Amino acid sequence: MSVVLTPLDYAVISQALIAGAREMGVKLIRSAYSTILREARDGSAGLMDRFGNTVAQAELIPMQLGPIGETLRACLKRHPVETLQEGDFLINNDPFEGGQHIPDVFIFTPIFVEGRVVGFGASVAHHLDLGGGAPGLNIHASDVYQEGLRFPPSKYNFPRDWNGGSFERLVTANVRVPDLTIGDFNAQFAANAIGVLRVKQLCERYGVDKVETAMKAMQDYSERRVRAAIAQAPKGTFYGEDAIDDDGLSDDPLPIRAKVTIADDSVEIDFEGTCAQIKRNLNCPYSSTLSAALSCVKSVLTSPDIPYNEGMARPIRIKVPYGSLLNPRPPAPVRARMIPAYRVFNAVMKALAQALPDKVIATGFDSTTALCLSHLGEKGYSVYLEIFGGGYGGSKNADGCDAVDSPLSNCSNAPVESLDIDYDFFRIVGYELAPDSFGLGARRGGAGFLRRCEILRDDVQLAIYSDRFRLAPEGLFGGEPGQRGYCRIYRADGTTQELRSKAAIDLAKGDVVEMFVGGGAGFGRIAQRPDALIERDLADGLLTRDPRPARKLAAE
Amino acid sequence: MRVGVEVGGTFTDLVAVEGGRVVVTKVPSTPRSPDIGAFAALAASGIDLARIEDLGHGSTVATNAVLERKGAAVAFVATAGFRDLLFMQRHDRRNIYDLFYAKPAPPVRRKDCFEVSERLRADGSVEMPLDEAKVRAELVPALQAGGYRAVAICLLNAYADPTHEKRLAALIVEALPGVLVTCSHQVAREFREFERASTTLLSAYVQPVIDGYLHRFENKLADAGFKGRFTVMQSNGGRLPAEAMRESAITALYSGPAAGVVGATRQAARSGFKDLITFDMGGTSTDVCLVQDGRPSLASESEIDGLPIRTPVLDIVSVGAGGGSIAWVDDGGMLRVGPQSAGADPGPACYGRGGAEPTITDAHVMTGTIRPAAFLGGRMTLDAEAARKVFGPVAERFSLGVEQAAAAALQLADANIVRAIQLVSTERGRDPRDYALVPFGGAGPLHAARIAEELGIATIVVPPNAGVISAYGLVASDYTKFDAVTRKMKLDETAAREASKSFADMRARLATQFADMKLPGELLYTHTLDMRFVGQAFEVGVEIPADRLASLDAAYLAELFADAHHRTFMHGATLDRPVEIVTLRVGATLPIGMAPKLDRETVAAHESERTRIFHGEAWVDCARYTAEALTSGQQIVGPAVIEGHTATTWVPAGWTAILDAADNLILRRAS
Repeated sequence: MSVVLTPLDYAVISQALIAGAREMGVKLIRSAYSTILREARDGSAGLMDRFGNTVAQAELIPMQLGPIGETLRACLKRHPVETLQEGDFLINNDPFEGGQHIPDVFIFTPIFVEGRVVGFGASVAHHLDLGGGAPGLNIHASDVYQEGLRFPPSKYNFPRDWNGGSFERLVTANVRVPDLTIGDFNAQFAANAIGVLRVKQLCERYGVDKVETAMKAMQDYSERRVRAAIAQAPKGTFYGEDAIDDDGLSDDPLPIRAKVTIADDSVEIDFEGTCAQIKRNLNCPYSSTLSAALSCVKSVLTSPDIPYNEGMARPIRIKVPYGSLLNPRPPAPVRARMIPAYRVFNAVMKALAQALPDKVIATGFDSTTALCLSHLGEKGYSVYLEIFGGGYGGSKNADGCDAVDSPLSNCSNAPVESLDIDYDFFRIVGYELAPDSFGLGARRGGAGFLRRCEILRDDVQLAIYSDRFRLAPEGLFGGEPGQRGYCRIYRADGTTQELRSKAAIDLAKGDVVEMFVGGGAGFGRIAQRPDALIERDLADGLLTRDPRPARKLAAE
Repeated sequence: MRVGVEVGGTFTDLVAVEGGRVVVTKVPSTPRSPDIGAFAALAASGIDLARIEDLGHGSTVATNAVLERKGAAVAFVATAGFRDLLFMQRHDRRNIYDLFYAKPAPPVRRKDCFEVSERLRADGSVEMPLDEAKVRAELVPALQAGGYRAVAICLLNAYADPTHEKRLAALIVEALPGVLVTCSHQVAREFREFERASTTLLSAYVQPVIDGYLHRFENKLADAGFKGRFTVMQSNGGRLPAEAMRESAITALYSGPAAGVVGATRQAARSGFKDLITFDMGGTSTDVCLVQDGRPSLASESEIDGLPIRTPVLDIVSVGAGGGSIAWVDDGGMLRVGPQSAGADPGPACYGRGGAEPTITDAHVMTGTIRPAAFLGGRMTLDAEAARKVFGPVAERFSLGVEQAAAAALQLADANIVRAIQLVSTERGRDPRDYALVPFGGAGPLHAARIAEELGIATIVVPPNAGVISAYGLVASDYTKFDAVTRKMKLDETAAREASKSFADMRARLATQFADMKLPGELLYTHTLDMRFVGQAFEVGVEIPADRLASLDAAYLAELFADAHHRTFMHGATLDRPVEIVTLRVGATLPIGMAPKLDRETVAAHESERTRIFHGEAWVDCARYTAEALTSGQQIVGPAVIEGHTATTWVPAGWTAILDAADNLILRRAS
């Protein structure tokens, strides 16, 4: 298969593969139905080689993109590539066999050229509801069975099993909003079809051999660039630690520890010392742990233009104790796996900060807050799920980004006007930056924000998972911590109620939900912050008190 | 006499047309004040301003005001609870692995954002009335104290009913005469508050700048005895009289590239080509647009500096591949071209002004397609040795000959342009093989044939004076205005009737606007329905043929939509799902009639010479012609180089070129 590629062939074919993956991503989002996929864009797409390695991807959600290879290879183990036929597709959302959590369903469509599979079109979407113990989000789940429909690594045939076929009917019968869910599956199949077509066109134009050689060369290229970056980093072993507030039942924090060893041209990350798996949904499947660690290393070590593919991962070795929070035994519930994944990101970042202080950022709010509102009306279920980020941590040369999704994710907000059109049981009544929510420092963290929601009907259910309601993000090199978050209910009767970071509650007409996600931590000492930046934040109302008098006082 | 003056970043181009006579003038621009360049061009052309009936103008004033943050001091007013709309944006990042990410910065500070108490529902009904007393007591004094020149208003759901915005604007205008107020329903009557707010803010931000600029320009024209109609180019490909432009400032963004597309479209039409892909390859970038049946495609979404705009613009995709684009090797060892550019200063190494990086123009010099002695008709001499020297390191890195390295750089630039063309064609469900390629800009005709070969395109139309097509577009473009209304309706017979009725209302409104602009004449309308399957968030625009407007029915509309959806997304044709109408759009065009003829310059016919070009892997011997010396109907068999004053055309082996009666050079690939 291997042929010699000219630099030109390589450049042209690799860019075309990246363009193909990007087009898949755009079309996945634009033809989707649920607000979580079409507005929040909680989905990803990519092109894979025939061995199950990621070649090119649409840059959508880092968390989903990282381990797509693991997810596909789990399918190929049961359904070897030679046994696949035209029309087949592979599907997997099994947290214990290469998947992440139940809502993220991965679908792979083989690309046949001259009767042989040359690769796969891959897409993943967060599905709004896949059944399980509660609409959209069951925070009480004590095992994975209560979290929704599980597709172990399997093979189906599109013409036979979809579009009215048995598999489609099985899914339809087990989900609460089948119109949206089946629509989103269709968007995934369509995105894959586009990827398949683009690769076929490339093979026609340049020949299968060149395309497959370029696929391999792209991975080698990313690997080379990552190894080159590692070679320049200081060598040694560094430790980092962070913790989750609690498991939602007790008040005990859940520590996550990372030991990062930077060798000549490789990095090893060992999570020995992390707490054991728990009974609630904060367990992090191996694929998710891997993805979080890789995303952190890539973000710190390499410039953003290096394409993320399987080659990226080769120089990085991850060790995770089995039965720990970061590599749980089945049937642990895993729905809120983004929370531990963020602490993985934070712990690895803190370790790398000691080696590469100029390339890291301080800890941000760095949590996925999933807020789900649902209502059962005469026409069936209406489910709203939105993802909130917070503020980024500051860095050597820049303030953290304000009010944005956290580093492992990249969900958009749903426009208020779009929610006004689509939902009649609640209304967004406020969406604001939160003054003083960030940690000060030479560079401050990004601001957090508030979203307020008025409930318009009785019998509305709220479910939430979040974090950093108790433990604030820590600053780096003297920077101050960011603020902690909260979720507060202003009841129609005038009382207020504070929720835990993992909670479910019934709401009635007239209640107002106030969701606050905090800001990021600061970087460096506040004494080094330029006056102009302080004055700017004061004028803009992002700071309500001048920190300088207190600073002077402390200095005297 | 009709005159077009296009002020670009480097050059100001003028095209004057009267009867059969065409005057083309090129002078350097004065970037700080575009009007200086424009009047310099008018002076250099020797035209008597009193004889100009129609003066079309395009400039980068609006674009630069945004890019350089030189717009007006502007305040932003939103519904209570939402003053931070412009900073919250969509909560996402463009670059997912960038830890130091910063959001696109709107040209307004948070301290200049205000709120009013009011709330509409999605259907436009009132949830909470506008608190006028509070506006008078709190907002008005704050606006007075801020010393703003412009105010942008974007209230939630105002696209459904503009009453609150109108009332609020009236209160502000009453209290602060002289302040320019822009409401969101005036610029974009579509849902999604951040995108609408961004459009409104940008419009308010550039409006006083455009206003001042056009005022100054008109005064200067009047002083010089000009009595004709002064019109300004818009990003949608049509013109508006200067006075109407002041209320539509946002449409002045990116008018230059739009003028080029219109110019190329009109000139290609003279040879009977109506389905086109235009590509304008200049110094730093290439702009690509697809033209269907003589009409350039429109996009309802665009952006400037990362900030969204929701007014219709020509669907132009820009890539960083131009004559000045730099070839480089990244730290993973991959050869790349652009987006960095040597610009006009220092420019390519061969310009001899100190450029030290290998560029596309240098590559052309190396491969022989640009002759150092004949660049721009001999107005500039190039340094071939400098070009060779800068390509040395790249060649060495890949163990290639210098010419091979240069050829690889050219092909990479071609590949970048090919991808841009795929974005406007294959990704939109159009097959590029059904179109003719129309290259212009200084470097376009040199790259056209290879790009055509990559895409399977068999015909290329090279317009005469390819270097001044944008200025020509100004005198060749029609008057255009668009209206759009978001009205979500499930597609059924009632909705189809409602759509017909709304279209009629919108046509009437546009007709009134044209009458107000003193533009009499028969308007041509286009009607588009943005539709989607119920549950989707993104709409597919479906154009309704004029002859079906009188008898719209649901089944017909559903079929049109399913086809369009399938073309773009490769599914949907057979889905049995309900469909809804979201936005109705009407475009009104007042045609200027026959576009003026763009003649070419001519010189006495003379014999071709022999030259050699490095093509693919080796040198090939070929003929070299002078474009201005060709005669109508003359056929040239490739490989050949046709050297012109503003652009040079490369005709590879397997292609023939013929100069047709419309002065277009038509290249055809042997089948």
